[in-house]
Amino acid sequence: MLVHDWLQTSEGAEILRSISSADGSRLRSYGLLERPVLPASASMEDAHYKLVVVGKSGVGKTSTIVHLSGHGLTSVHCETAGIQTTKMYWPVKIAHLNKKVLMNLTFWDAGEITLKKFDHILPACKSGVDAVIFVFSFVDKGSWEEIPHLMTQLTDPDDQLAKIVIGTKFDQFSHSEVSQRELRDFELRWNIPIVKICNTPTATSGTGLSDIITVMNNICELLWERDVQKAEAV
Amino acid sequence: MDGLYLICVTSGSGLPVFTRSVGNVKQLPFPVIGSLNAVHMFAANHEAELKSTATEDARIVWKEFHDSLVLIAVHCGNGRVVDCELERLLDRTWAAMVLLYGLEELRQIRNVERFKREIKVCHPLIDTLLRRVELPVFSDVTGAVEGVLASEATALQNFLEAFVEAADTPYGCLLSHGRLVGATAKWWDLSATELVLLSLLGLSFSPCSCRDVPIYLPDKSPTVPHRLMTFKLMAHVEVWVICGPTPSLSQLEMEIARFWVAAVDTLHQVRQIHPRNFPASIDVDNNILGFILINAATHHSVTSVDVRREGKDSGELRGRREALREFYGSVWDSQMGGPVTEEASTDVKHTITDSYTVYSSHKCYAHICGNYQIFVLFSSKIPTYAMRNVCKKTLDAFVKDKSVMI
Repeated sequence: MLVHDWLQTSEGAEILRSISSADGSRLRSYGLLERPVLPASASMEDAHYKLVVVGKSGVGKTSTIVHLSGHGLTSVHCETAGIQTTKMYWPVKIAHLNKKVLMNLTFWDAGEITLKKFDHILPACKSGVDAVIFVFSFVDKGSWEEIPHLMTQLTDPDDQLAKIVIGTKFDQFSHSEVSQRELRDFELRWNIPIVKICNTPTATSGTGLSDIITVMNNICELLWERDVQKAEAV
Repeated sequence: MDGLYLICVTSGSGLPVFTRSVGNVKQLPFPVIGSLNAVHMFAANHEAELKSTATEDARIVWKEFHDSLVLIAVHCGNGRVVDCELERLLDRTWAAMVLLYGLEELRQIRNVERFKREIKVCHPLIDTLLRRVELPVFSDVTGAVEGVLASEATALQNFLEAFVEAADTPYGCLLSHGRLVGATAKWWDLSATELVLLSLLGLSFSPCSCRDVPIYLPDKSPTVPHRLMTFKLMAHVEVWVICGPTPSLSQLEMEIARFWVAAVDTLHQVRQIHPRNFPASIDVDNNILGFILINAATHHSVTSVDVRREGKDSGELRGRREALREFYGSVWDSQMGGPVTEEASTDVKHTITDSYTVYSSHKCYAHICGNYQIFVLFSSKIPTYAMRNVCKKTLDAFVKDKSVMI
């Protein structure tokens, strides 16, 4: 549904540049009172989405969000206290409508410990949510095995939520505890795509935004698909 | 570089809960942790309290909290450190654990394995406390929260008051670069420990747009949790509120634009005051490289190591912070009385109001006047006899400037 290589065209690249840092290595981060200043020629519609990020403690939920949103990476794992939400913008072009849309994504991330201890955290994350992002680590088998449980716990077949699985620490793929076959079987069985990411500063240096383009396009495509399906259902 | 360990073990059974460290230090082997606990317990069994000891290359301080946990600080290396500094670190660490985990839960640990997993939520804040000289602020030693002095603060106060009303709470504050620009009267009512820990908590967070963090107030509400909600208005500018069960994070986030959009230009101006941290209307002597100014009555302080925005490299600024810290520690802890959170030392019958030290690379002067304390780092060019006068004039300039409040 999305034009996947649109961001490589001059039009797409210009828009992406306008929301990137000066050196083009990451996205700019915006405060709640700020908004991207897009090129004058670009007229874009806004679409707002709430995404909740779940997965075993320590798999890299916060790192993934920090990486995607361009906040700069931290090397040490910290348990997240309470809820953190991160707003980011991503431009896409919808193929069948020939329309450009600026996706306003808000990622909701809650630390596992506070999630278990305080009752109000999970409902706050789930209310009005559009998508669930399940995160596992390639070097932690337990986190992979937990995905189906989380899936049944947080979603049901007709909730019309967009679902995506992200595998982190892909740079350590040679030590992967999850086999290609398992990934393939999972994708077939649940019909949910798995995207891979590495959130280490060294693995991402010099590549500019190319490492996040696939992930972001995948997420946005699912969100758009879900909107279309929802509209059709009505 | 000096190393510092902070170890937490359970009282009685001595099970290790966590060890955090900074500096280039090895992990402490289990038998060492065991022995550290054993000597403390040996003393306790003989009805003595082991408080501290020094070896050739280390200084160790113990403190037990609520018969539940023992915290141990181990400082190794050549740097100067006094017991009360490490004791203060242990007290702050305990308060940090209360802040994010709750006093009742710390007092009654039923399942140690589970506790070890859950207390991880405090690690970023404890690590921030351990960073000491690497911190951009001095709050951890002064016990006073740091602010940005801005003539625009009065105007912004109105925005803040309106916003906290919408959040249905009396507790709110506005921060620029992690320093308070303004806060509600109730926020200033928080204890010094709470004010300082909350500001350090801000430095420990990973970057994001909004947060909703369960917190316990170590002095005001150690057993009943509240919700700290933070909103990033623009880069380096955040508004914080402490709420009860309502409103929800998304409800309040939706109000942000309505309450703050008219303040954008003012917020931009206030953000520019960093790293000087005080307005251009206040003129300071050319020999001043940095200073700490504290109002002990309100636990409010303003500090700067870049008073003229010279664009010095971070190494130079770090050196200035280190020098100021060193001087503060040497005159405050040993001569001028306890930190602002404690009663002044009673051993000294007369009050010391001035103290100075001439180092090979710089000079420092401390001056106390009523509730105000000022610690100034000078370049060595200043004649020693002139420091007292410059300090007094600088303090006067801050206190008398009607556009700012310290």
